[in-house]
Formats: sequence, structure tokens, C-alpha cells
Amino acid sequence: MGTSQRPTEVTPRGTVIYKGEFEFVPPPPEWKLFWPEGEGDGEFAFGYLKRDPGPFPSQSVFAYDEEPFGYSTNFEDRQKEFFKRFLWNAILHFQVLEKEKVQVIGGEGLAVTVEGKDPVKKEKAKAKVIFGKRGDRIVSFYMTQWRPIDGTYDPSAFEVFDRFIQSLKFLKKSFYETL
Amino acid sequence: MEGHQRNLYLYERFNARVLGVSVDDVTTLKYWAKSLDLTFPLLSNVSGFLGASFDVMPSPEIKGFPVFSRRTVIIDKTGIIRYVRDGSPSFKDILLFLKKLNQEGRSDPTTGGNP
Repeated sequence: MGTSQRPTEVTPRGTVIYKGEFEFVPPPPEWKLFWPEGEGDGEFAFGYLKRDPGPFPSQSVFAYDEEPFGYSTNFEDRQKEFFKRFLWNAILHFQVLEKEKVQVIGGEGLAVTVEGKDPVKKEKAKAKVIFGKRGDRIVSFYMTQWRPIDGTYDPSAFEVFDRFIQSLKFLKKSFYETL
Repeated sequence: MEGHQRNLYLYERFNARVLGVSVDDVTTLKYWAKSLDLTFPLLSNVSGFLGASFDVMPSPEIKGFPVFSRRTVIIDKTGIIRYVRDGSPSFKDILLFLKKLNQEGRSDPTTGGNP
């Protein structure tokens, strides 16, 4: 995670601009910005994290990802590829709770909500992943909320995530759109 | 490797082809390609002579085995190595280089516009 100078600037409109490329309404202050160090490929662009009340692993995290797992350019195939590897090192057994077409970043998209449980570590996670298109390529937004196996999810964090996505604008073309 | 798969349509645009080379055996590579849905060729080079030919350094992590560090090499149509990078591939760097190479080919009258 990034430790260098904060890559965001606040606008008079109350929005935040990240690295001159993304403008959005920031989440409430308890959400902390994180970003990858350097300019590595294939990593998430940036995200926000919030520690939730309750025992480990109670936390909520969301991120924007320019290079989500998989390669297909249609949403249905991409979500299958994506979930082969999403949180793979947590060894959760995911179950799809909801899958629906949505409008996102000015076009059609696909929202998939899943829940995974680890009965050995007694943890669970609920995740919502929204796939959209930026130019020819699929990008994604994902939100993961971790809880102890008997914990209760907090739906308000998912509302924060949805508001973040609705407010996000691209201020310039992506690298791939300029090739 | 998944990054290369994601960029295949761009490699096509720049008249480039990608090959993966590994010291793993064919069976292992078949399963690996299947698990990642890779559609481009993977070459099995169990003896590791290709790694040595391209002057790739043996991995410091596994001594005594023919395991090589990661290296990305771009070879032009005349067989000249034009780009080398060690470590994880920088896909954006690769794409910019291929775009430039493709443009060079297009402006070369001896190739008739075919890079």
C-alpha cells in the first residue's frame, strides 16, 4: 500500500481527484484511502478501508481495479474468470447471492454479490463486484466486508460503495484508449 | 501470463505474437494454461537451454535447479532482440514498445508497409 505523498486533491465542489484521473465524492472520514506503491501493472488503482466494530476480521474495503482478474470482454465470461481467483488465498467457498445487469460509469455493467465462508478460521466475507467498461476493456469495482462467522454484515457500507461508484468520473482517457 | 492474455487483441493490432517459455514439462503447462484460460502458445523447455541462450539469470531462490528468473524479450521481424526487461512484465511498457515497433515497420519502404 502506498505510503508516499497523498495522491488526492480536494475540489471546491466537495469531490476528490485521484492522480488527476478520477473524480468522485469521497466516503465518510472513517474510510481511509489506500493505493499501490509505484506504477505497477495489474494492480488495483486505489481504494478505501474501514475498521468495523467487533472482533477480527471485522472490516470493510472497496477498490477500483483497472485490471480485474480474467481477460474476456463480455461480462458473463469475465465474472466467471474473476471469481476463480478473487480472494484465492483466503480459501473461501463462494456462493453467488445476486447477479444483475446495472448501469455503471455511463454504460451497461454487471453486479455480482457473493458470500464466502471459511469454517476452519470461522470467518466469512460478503463481496459485491461491479464490472463496467472503460473503452474496450472491462474494469471493476469491488467491495468486501469481513466478519467472524457469526457476525452481522453492515449494509450501510455497501451503500457508501454504491455512492462512490455513482459519483466517479474519468477525467481523461485511459492508457489503453490512447494506444 | 493473464496480463498477456488480456492484451492479445492489442498485440494483434501491433502485429505481434506472444510465446511463453518455461522449464515446466508439457503436462504441467497444459494444466496451467487451462486453469488460466490461456490461448497463446507456451513452450516447454525442460533443459533450460533457452533461458541460458537468452542470458536469463538462474533464480536465486532455488539453487541447483534449472529455474530462471522472469525476463520479457521482444524480438523484431528480423530476429533482433529489441527489448529486454527482468522481473514482472510491465504490460504498458510492452504495449508502447510494440506500438513504436509497428509504426517503424509501417514507415519502412522496404517492407511495403508490413512490419
